[in-house]
Amino acid sequence: MTVGGGAGGAPQSIEPKKLRIYGLVGSVVGIYLAYILNSVTGTNIFSFVGSLAALFAVVMGANAVRRVCAYGIGTGVPSIGMLALGMGIVASLFGLNIAEQLGIGILGVIVALVYSVIFGYVVGLIANRVMGFNIPIMEEGLSDLSGAGTMAIIGWSFAISGSLAYSAIVTNVINTGFLAIIFICGGLAILHPFNANLGPDEKQDRTLVNAVMVGGMSNIATGVCALLTLGLPAGMVQIVAGFAVWYYFYVWFFRLAKRDAAAVVGTGLLPPSAL
Amino acid sequence: MDAFGMGLVAALGALATVAGASEDIESDVGSQSNPNSQVQLAAQVGNPHRIYNKAIAGEPPSNALWCATAAIMAYVLIQGYHMPLLFAAAAGASLAALFNGVMATSAYLGRNASQARFNQWVYLDIIRYTTPSIMAHVWITSFCIVLISIIQVYILTPHHPFPIPVIALIWGLTVGAVGSSVGDIHYGGEREFQWRLFGQGLNTMLSGQIVRKAEAGLRNSIDNAWFCAKFGGPCTGMGFGLTVFLDNWRTTVFDPVNQAGAAIAMGVFFVIVMNLYNFYCELSARRKYGPYPGYKGDIAA
Repeated sequence: MTVGGGAGGAPQSIEPKKLRIYGLVGSVVGIYLAYILNSVTGTNIFSFVGSLAALFAVVMGANAVRRVCAYGIGTGVPSIGMLALGMGIVASLFGLNIAEQLGIGILGVIVALVYSVIFGYVVGLIANRVMGFNIPIMEEGLSDLSGAGTMAIIGWSFAISGSLAYSAIVTNVINTGFLAIIFICGGLAILHPFNANLGPDEKQDRTLVNAVMVGGMSNIATGVCALLTLGLPAGMVQIVAGFAVWYYFYVWFFRLAKRDAAAVVGTGLLPPSAL
Repeated sequence: MDAFGMGLVAALGALATVAGASEDIESDVGSQSNPNSQVQLAAQVGNPHRIYNKAIAGEPPSNALWCATAAIMAYVLIQGYHMPLLFAAAAGASLAALFNGVMATSAYLGRNASQARFNQWVYLDIIRYTTPSIMAHVWITSFCIVLISIIQVYILTPHHPFPIPVIALIWGLTVGAVGSSVGDIHYGGEREFQWRLFGQGLNTMLSGQIVRKAEAGLRNSIDNAWFCAKFGGPCTGMGFGLTVFLDNWRTTVFDPVNQAGAAIAMGVFFVIVMNLYNFYCELSARRKYGPYPGYKGDIAA
């Protein structure tokens, strides 16, 4: 696609700083909340909270894609989403593993997050300085994307494995191959919103609502995986929660699309101006 | 090599052929991938249209998503609930089709709403009758790909060491890439632009000037599926089917451990033969249809 939004940054009503804080704090708090609830009750039924926490990261990531790609990257939208989740996989496995080896396993999420932000910044530097993208917010955008990808992967991995232990995630998420669906569904949740709303009249609220909608769909997918790893009750709770999020935000997205479209008609010929 | 293994390889090839064909038609119904840029541009150069605008991240990632979704469902049903393989694959494909419907409609609504200033309307009847067709094709594609993965992991010996979702993800990426490079050319080159002379390429001046009117009434995406099912779809199917069949054939005939050298040599042989055949096809097409009347010798670009 050659026609993106206009260059020079996308108009936005919610500040990226605010969204970054919501995204990072929401996902970290959500993942730890899920962990604590699971530990306190001694069940795995609250694993779905981890998948909901991932939605905060997804919104932050989708906003970063929107900001970076508004500089005229059109065909790069899918690539940058894949890049986010690729960086996220490296950072999350590194963080959880290193924290466990240092004996601070519980802080694995924070270690992964810090590592991912630095990782993203370095990739952004390489993209700008070495490859010559010359996008002013590239470093910032890729830090956001890397952080968002990492938190989304940890959130959904927790939703499938019910644990933050490195070995449990390797057994339940990587050896079963469920990482494939986290990677591709999570990647789509971050890249699809801007890609699906690409055009000069793209609006931030519509894009972000779309992000939560696709994120809800990913929760349904991880819920299906949890049916195998966590059992029927935990999996079904996750599927129902994911469906509720998806349904609410799909209806909202449809409403916003109707608000923004030139016209929404049941059927009809081309607009009179074009005939 | 045994007869059973060879039969399975033939079945893999057949399934891949069907998957490739349906994948290409699915992307053409929704104008995904490369032809999508022209559909997107059309409204922007003053040509609003009634063609589906399904922008889901290009074909390889989107097909990877459908196939991985179908695969996790099938894997969960097989491993956790001991369901029959065929039923599990069908259930997985149904989930993938539902996911596809969500993504396709959100892309159509979002893309057209983002072109409000060009007076591109959102037509709800297009969503109602085109989306089920897209979902049906995705069902066929993901069903075939998941069956290929299941055969590779559970039936074909030696069993594939990767888990089903990962294999399905990789096959999904592959079928998307094949469809994007084989079948989409047919749709983008010959359906969106029907009056071009051979060798003309796509002039920048013609960007966005796609065909919007049909033999009767306005063109829609179902018309495009009808057209692409005649050549682009089968070509994609043949391309993907041959890829799967030839690749598995060489490791079934030659043992991948003891006769690895022979298997690799056979692969190199296939690549050389295909390159020669491609070269012949291009020369033959140029001889029959060329040169472009406006051609005035080599001009520096």
